[in-house]
Amino acid sequence: MQPDTDLRALMVRYQQGDQTAATALVHTVSGPLHRFFLVHTVSRRHADDLLQETWLRIHRARHTYRPGEPVLPWIYAIARHVRVDHYRRVHRIETREQQVEQLPEVAQNSVGRSGAGPDLAALLAGLPDSQREVITMLKVLNMPIEEVARATSSSVGSVKQKAHRAYVALRERLAGAKGPK
Amino acid sequence: MNGGDPEDILNRAARAPHEADPALLARIAASINSGLEPVRPLPAPWVLASGLLAIWAAVALAGAAAFGLYGIARLSGAEIAAIFPLLAAFAWAAAARIVAETIPGSPRPVPSVFLAGGGILALLTVFGLLFHDYRTERFVPQGLVCLETGVVHAAIAALGGWVVLRRGLAVEPVSAGLVAGTLAGLAGIAMLELHCPNLEALHVMVWHTAVIPVSAGAGALFGRLRSIWK
Repeated sequence: MQPDTDLRALMVRYQQGDQTAATALVHTVSGPLHRFFLVHTVSRRHADDLLQETWLRIHRARHTYRPGEPVLPWIYAIARHVRVDHYRRVHRIETREQQVEQLPEVAQNSVGRSGAGPDLAALLAGLPDSQREVITMLKVLNMPIEEVARATSSSVGSVKQKAHRAYVALRERLAGAKGPK
Repeated sequence: MNGGDPEDILNRAARAPHEADPALLARIAASINSGLEPVRPLPAPWVLASGLLAIWAAVALAGAAAFGLYGIARLSGAEIAAIFPLLAAFAWAAAARIVAETIPGSPRPVPSVFLAGGGILALLTVFGLLFHDYRTERFVPQGLVCLETGVVHAAIAALGGWVVLRRGLAVEPVSAGLVAGTLAGLAGIAMLELHCPNLEALHVMVWHTAVIPVSAGAGALFGRLRSIWK
């Protein structure tokens, strides 16, 4: 990932209509964004769809980026919005069509197919959504804690608390996995 | 799952390269670049918040002027000095917050419901300390008139606020609706304080203050419906 100052410059040029900057931004940000979706979704195809949808929203809302502000919280706030919308839509369709008795466990089966890494996907699968999101942003995407707080509309303290709880849960799971049978 | 330290697994995942499908990225870039035009960024948050406050004040003053400034005429200097600065401070906080709600990635350290709840509590405290007339003559009929008047003015303020914020993107529509409703409700309550001559403690505490939760609830409901049916 490029430093945020580079992203800010790209974003400003994108707002000014610079196609080179827009293309560079797509290529710079899409890898981590795609991974963010993979950790939360059931298949690579869904992650691809979410990535496309996110870029569509980013494009429509590019005027809402304030020059000088960090870019990643702005992008991930939109990405979270897209993910929640997508989940609601899928849930609504599934409820209406009554094709399934129960919703599939999100990310439960993403291990092999996702490409997020078998260990990572399996490790995070049992965590609540908000904790999984925070851990992914902090540890996998290496976002600063202040930016994670901005992206998730919460305080730094709340992010730290979620990360701490996630670590406790993960250690317990790993200890259980290693323990005597 | 392999056993081990979560930190190790997360670090390995962070180091592992991950690219989205290049063909997909090419499609996205082509789609974005077709007809890419310059856009004007949103004004600075303080400009938007000032615009919202101007609408808030205009709705409250115009409404009270139209219906008669009987309320402020009955208030003492101390009561005016306690009520209106509190309303203005609450309105400023709500305006700043609704602007943050419509700019993705803005800092929002406190849930919006705390802002609305804290403001209502502060108003109830001030009203409780200032007004000591505990009669409840025509409590419900008079109260309903005030509630209706306040909510109508809140709706007008909400429309004005939408004009100011129409270019924003609310990534959490329920939260944004709740704060927008709170700010609009504050315009309604400010109008009532200027206009309503009934200074009975319970009338003010129940019916005037009720404009905020009604308006905030309507805003949150609107946000919820919008997120479902868009």
